[in-house]
Amino acid sequence: MYEETACFDPNPMTEGTISVDGFSVPNNNFEVRLSMEELSYHHHNNHTPCHEDVAIDIELQQHLAFNIENNNTNNTTTNLDNTHLIDNPYNLHEMQDMDNFNYHQQQQHLIDIQNGHQNFDCSSYPATTPDLLNLFNMPRCSASSFMPNSSISFSNPTLQQNPTNNYPNSLGFLGEVPTVTDSPSGGSVFYDPVFHLNHLPQQPPLFRELFQSLPHGYTLPGSRNGSLFGTNGVVVDDREGCVYQEDGDVRQFENVLEFTGKTRDGETKHFATERHRRQHLNKKYDALRSLVPNPTKADRASVVGDAIEYIKELLRTVNELKLLVEKKRCGRERSKRHKTESEYGSGDLESCGMKPLGGDPDQSYNGSLRSSWLQRKSKDTEVDVRIIDDEVTIKLVQRKSSCLLSVSKVLDDLQLDLHHVAGGHIGDFYSFLFNTKIYEGSSVYASAIANKLIEVVDRQCAAIQPTSSY
Amino acid sequence: MEYVGSALDGLFITKEGNSRGRVGRRRYSNDDGTEYKSKNLHAERRRRQKLSDRLLALRALVPIITNMNKATIIEDAISYIEELQNNVKVLQGHLYEMEASSEEGTLPRSEEIDPAEEMRKSGIQAEVEVTQINGNKLWIKIIFEKTRGGFTRLMEAMTAFGFELIDTSVTTSKGAMLVSSCVKGIHGEINEVQRAKELLLQIINGI
Repeated sequence: MYEETACFDPNPMTEGTISVDGFSVPNNNFEVRLSMEELSYHHHNNHTPCHEDVAIDIELQQHLAFNIENNNTNNTTTNLDNTHLIDNPYNLHEMQDMDNFNYHQQQQHLIDIQNGHQNFDCSSYPATTPDLLNLFNMPRCSASSFMPNSSISFSNPTLQQNPTNNYPNSLGFLGEVPTVTDSPSGGSVFYDPVFHLNHLPQQPPLFRELFQSLPHGYTLPGSRNGSLFGTNGVVVDDREGCVYQEDGDVRQFENVLEFTGKTRDGETKHFATERHRRQHLNKKYDALRSLVPNPTKADRASVVGDAIEYIKELLRTVNELKLLVEKKRCGRERSKRHKTESEYGSGDLESCGMKPLGGDPDQSYNGSLRSSWLQRKSKDTEVDVRIIDDEVTIKLVQRKSSCLLSVSKVLDDLQLDLHHVAGGHIGDFYSFLFNTKIYEGSSVYASAIANKLIEVVDRQCAAIQPTSSY
Repeated sequence: MEYVGSALDGLFITKEGNSRGRVGRRRYSNDDGTEYKSKNLHAERRRRQKLSDRLLALRALVPIITNMNKATIIEDAISYIEELQNNVKVLQGHLYEMEASSEEGTLPRSEEIDPAEEMRKSGIQAEVEVTQINGNKLWIKIIFEKTRGGFTRLMEAMTAFGFELIDTSVTTSKGAMLVSSCVKGIHGEINEVQRAKELLLQIINGI
């Protein structure tokens, strides 16, 4: 039973708070406290004295049952099995002392105990906790239990009459608990659907605060209940220290296991989901890198930088292509119109949406200049193509060999009129700058030029390589 | 979170490598503790800042934004890039179709200048000059009539004869093309300047 609670570490808290304060409330509180101590104690002992515990537990429970005033009709003391409670005449003593405890601490302890109890009793949790709540007549919210020093007082339904101004703001919602827990459905807040409805929205942030103050190792019994924390698993998970193995929400569970930095062996707990998240993120970065044409360095910042440049380039290319398509369409329409003009004697140059400049039918630009620029890199070659209007400037840097011949062939194929070439041999590289003009009527675009050039030059390099003599 | 982790790594100098394996940090682990810690902190902070700036820029480019966290920025960027690539393909397809069925050929090429006319008008003559630089290198200067594909033919011929252009300058003016280049012999030394000159003249006349 105890083994199931993997990381419960009630020690730091329980020990400090044990037995000191008297419960001013005559009822259940001290029992709760007792059980807390017992729990911790029991935990410490590693569950060895089971039998005695059982006996005493039962005894205690019966004792408790008497003390419980409220709606708890449960004498499911038998349900309070050995799991949570421990023995100790020591505890019995404390029971008497408890009367002295002040209200607040009682509350804390109640909560602590409850939590402790809950922590322990994983397996029988569903069975026992309602009973326990009934017994103790306490709302189930355990958050406050983790704050031994806080002035949070967990409202006991029996103590409803007490002013709720005891409750600190952060646990305001807890303050409402009594009303909820008064319902015959039992003390278990968590089981109370109304409670969920009332408090669920508030809970995550509040719990977050509470969680932050949790000593490591403490779990929220509520964590088991996926509905409370379900929305933001990450938030909750950061705080969860303990593992409820039997709880239904496995995912929550996993998160609990993994996220908290507050557990004793904190680092190992981060792994599984955090690792998945990292892997997922890395996969996305790799996908981005694979999309970009010129990936250089492998680190994330340059991947993003490359992506930015590539998106800009794609936008330019799309604009260029649109312009070309438009121009071609207009050209076609115009040539059709030329044909038909002679027949019908009129042409509507506006139809293609472009206004010719100076009335020249071939000047189909609507006042905007076609401009485009892109770069492509391969292993040995770098190509930079810039197009403004009908002039194409190509810069080519190549490692292996002088490629003027093949380049000029390609340029001819692409219907580019070579106007100027400059370049030569620099160190290991051959670098050339070509100024060309697009022949009239050709609708070649930048990426086509760049890709073709790289392809041809690489091919030539590959071809030349075997024949080069050293 | 990985940044936090790695920052912490820097601070605590853990032996555990983070996902990016910054070896440099580990090397400094035990010496000059505080000095390297603070250097790393700055460097790490700058690195993180750089990455987050770039992510912001990326997000600014992408029109479709779902969430604002790192993972979704990248996801959105990926889908946007794919969409743009798709657009490009579609447009290229359009263009190709239009090319295939184009009637461009019917447009008269009224704009082209007759190069021979131009040359004659400007008094430019075709010529070849060759000078030897050293054992293997020649310097040549060629002026010839610029025609469509003429340069390519010149290059082909020169390659065929074993001339390789090393440092080249080509300009075009008034219908003529000037090629001025340092030429190396591929197959060994070129000693015969006169022969080279004649060869080149032949080539030019053949263009």
